[in-house]
Amino acid sequence: MTLVKDSPTATRKVRPAAPAAVKRRGRRENLAGYLFMSPWIAGFLLLTAGPMVASLYFAFTDYNLFNTPKWVGLDNFTKMFDDPRWQKSVEVTAKYVIIGTPLKLLLALGVALLLAQSRRGQAFYRAAFYAPSLIGASVSVAFVWRSIFSDNAVVDRTLSVFGIHAGGWVGNPDWILYCLVALTVWQFGAPMVIFLAGLKQVPRELYEAAEMDGAGPFRRFWNITLPMISPVLFFNILLETIHSFQIFGSAYVVSNTYCGPADATLVYTCYLYQQGFKNAQMGFASAMAWMLLLAVALVTAVLFWSQKKWVHYENDTEDAR
Amino acid sequence: MGTSRKVERRTILKAAGAGAATLGLAATTGCGGNSGTSADGTVTIRYSWWGADERAKKINQTIKLFEKKYPKIKVKTDFQDYVSFWEKFQTQASGGNPPDVFQNAVTFLRKYDKRSVLLDLRSQIDAGNLSLDNFRAGVTKVGEVDGKQLGVPVGSNTMALVIDKKVFQKAGVEPAAGWTWDDYFKALKTIHDKTKVPGDTGYFSIMYLYDLYLRQNGKAFYTKDGLGFDKADLTEWWQDGYNRTKAGIITDPKIVAQDRPKSSLSAGHGASEFTWDNFTVRYSAEGDSEYGLAPIPTMDGKHTGQYLASLMLSASARTSHPKEVAQFIDFMVHDPEVGKIMGYDRGILASTEQYDAFKPTDTVNKEIAQYETDTAKAGVLGTITPHPSGADTIEAAFLRIGGDLGLGKVKTSDAVKQFFDEAQAAFQA
Repeated sequence: MTLVKDSPTATRKVRPAAPAAVKRRGRRENLAGYLFMSPWIAGFLLLTAGPMVASLYFAFTDYNLFNTPKWVGLDNFTKMFDDPRWQKSVEVTAKYVIIGTPLKLLLALGVALLLAQSRRGQAFYRAAFYAPSLIGASVSVAFVWRSIFSDNAVVDRTLSVFGIHAGGWVGNPDWILYCLVALTVWQFGAPMVIFLAGLKQVPRELYEAAEMDGAGPFRRFWNITLPMISPVLFFNILLETIHSFQIFGSAYVVSNTYCGPADATLVYTCYLYQQGFKNAQMGFASAMAWMLLLAVALVTAVLFWSQKKWVHYENDTEDAR
Repeated sequence: MGTSRKVERRTILKAAGAGAATLGLAATTGCGGNSGTSADGTVTIRYSWWGADERAKKINQTIKLFEKKYPKIKVKTDFQDYVSFWEKFQTQASGGNPPDVFQNAVTFLRKYDKRSVLLDLRSQIDAGNLSLDNFRAGVTKVGEVDGKQLGVPVGSNTMALVIDKKVFQKAGVEPAAGWTWDDYFKALKTIHDKTKVPGDTGYFSIMYLYDLYLRQNGKAFYTKDGLGFDKADLTEWWQDGYNRTKAGIITDPKIVAQDRPKSSLSAGHGASEFTWDNFTVRYSAEGDSEYGLAPIPTMDGKHTGQYLASLMLSASARTSHPKEVAQFIDFMVHDPEVGKIMGYDRGILASTEQYDAFKPTDTVNKEIAQYETDTAKAGVLGTITPHPSGADTIEAAFLRIGGDLGLGKVKTSDAVKQFFDEAQAAFQA
């Protein structure tokens, strides 16, 4: 620790006359730093950057994992738009993102609002609501999901009590996607914790002042809470949207690796996986991966652009005043 | 302070350097995972197969026998279910690291021959490390492609109709050799009417069955390099299948999807299923009922279109121990004790040594033996349909698209078009 803290300036003070030595020492320190980082750097280059560059190249080739990749230009990209299963995968993913993300965030915000008030046992509630986020992404939970949404399992029987005889969701192409939506919504704990932190930041005096002016709870929420936590809301929307686009594990497991029935859970990454690793169309799969990156980048850009209109940063207003 | 710091720094540099070096080492050894030769001349070979726990237990017993006889050869094993096995295999093979020896089937022979993954065992046969003598008539042909011996059969099997005997009895339906498709579909209806159980789990999306149907009609699923039928053929086949699903005599594909990875037959949601005869072993372990074998329906009262297929052992062209691998295969296909342990789990034992050594005592194995004897006697066995490279992907597409059709989510014409498009892509891949 001390090494990092005091060395460059301290050295300069002690031996101002030897800049070359300082440089050498500085360089040595850098070397040590890089060596310490080397496991991470090596991992990044070998396991992330390298494959990314390779996949960018493969995206423009015909590559079946065994042949030498053959350059085909934009063929893979144009092929996508003629491929009904690709279109289906885009549709399924869009549906999942558009339905799942807002539901999850609404629930997270709602529960955060309830938990923000001090009451007995709040630490327990917070932990309890957060827990699904920790385990929800695991394969075992997806297995559990698969079984509770099957014919005559918990969900089916509970609904039957209320006269809804839907049968198992898992085998029903019209319902199974909602099974995945339920799984992601159930993991609302992570955004909830962030909302909670945001809510704690809202100055109390604003509420007091508003109350004096006769503002009701809804009004206080709409005019104080919401604008004050809008940066947190923005952050959560951004994170959850990007996260939703990348759904794979739950779709793969809940459908027992088929991403069906009738392609009902054929999310984008699932089709990408099928093309790449089942059908050995690695060129096409790579092109799909880059297309996903572009789409996510575009959505992110739109969100960033939109935040000017609705995200309220406290510093801005202070400047404005 | 100054010196101590210097020392510190040097130590730290060393530590960091050591860390980086370890990482490098880890990278080289980590990727290895390869079979190799150790100092005392012990050779390790990797053997992978697909199957369930039952098969794994049996295979592990046979490996113990092998290692006893060949103490200088160690066998490392690995198994998955069918689909995962081939996904993993493809990735390993493309990375130049396939298992030395592995279970194989005819659907994959040409694909991996085209990609130079399979060892031509001919040289090992000539060297005397592996014998193709004493096989039951014709079975070794299945492992031959363009004069190369790419696989050695461990067992032979044929497509059959596996039935839930209890349900069939309850409905009073008795399958008979030479029955026609009309008889068969009438039987399904009777079963459904009397027992409420759908008669079949989804015959129309099984590639191997459609192949038999086409063969009965003078065609086949594949020619040497493409599909052996046209869109009109498939439209008719699938439209009938869809109508029968709607009528309830075929299991609702929603149920089939939920039963996975179990078969809907062993889950009790269907009374029969077209599959390989040796699957009776699996279904008997998986399900609660009694399962038996029935003849394939025919067009003309005689020709079923059946042929002998087989599970094989193949070797990797990149193995550094071709001799040991050949010895391993030789042991696994000829040793009588291995035959006794394996039974008909992977089909009727292919070599006469093993066939003679294993005398089935339980009903299931007896029935499989009887079935293949009857089929052979009936003189209906023909030459196997060629399976061009891509057949594996096409089999999966046929199953998936057929299932979608059964769900009523696609029009038959669209489903047929989709299948032909995907088949074309698979042949080209």
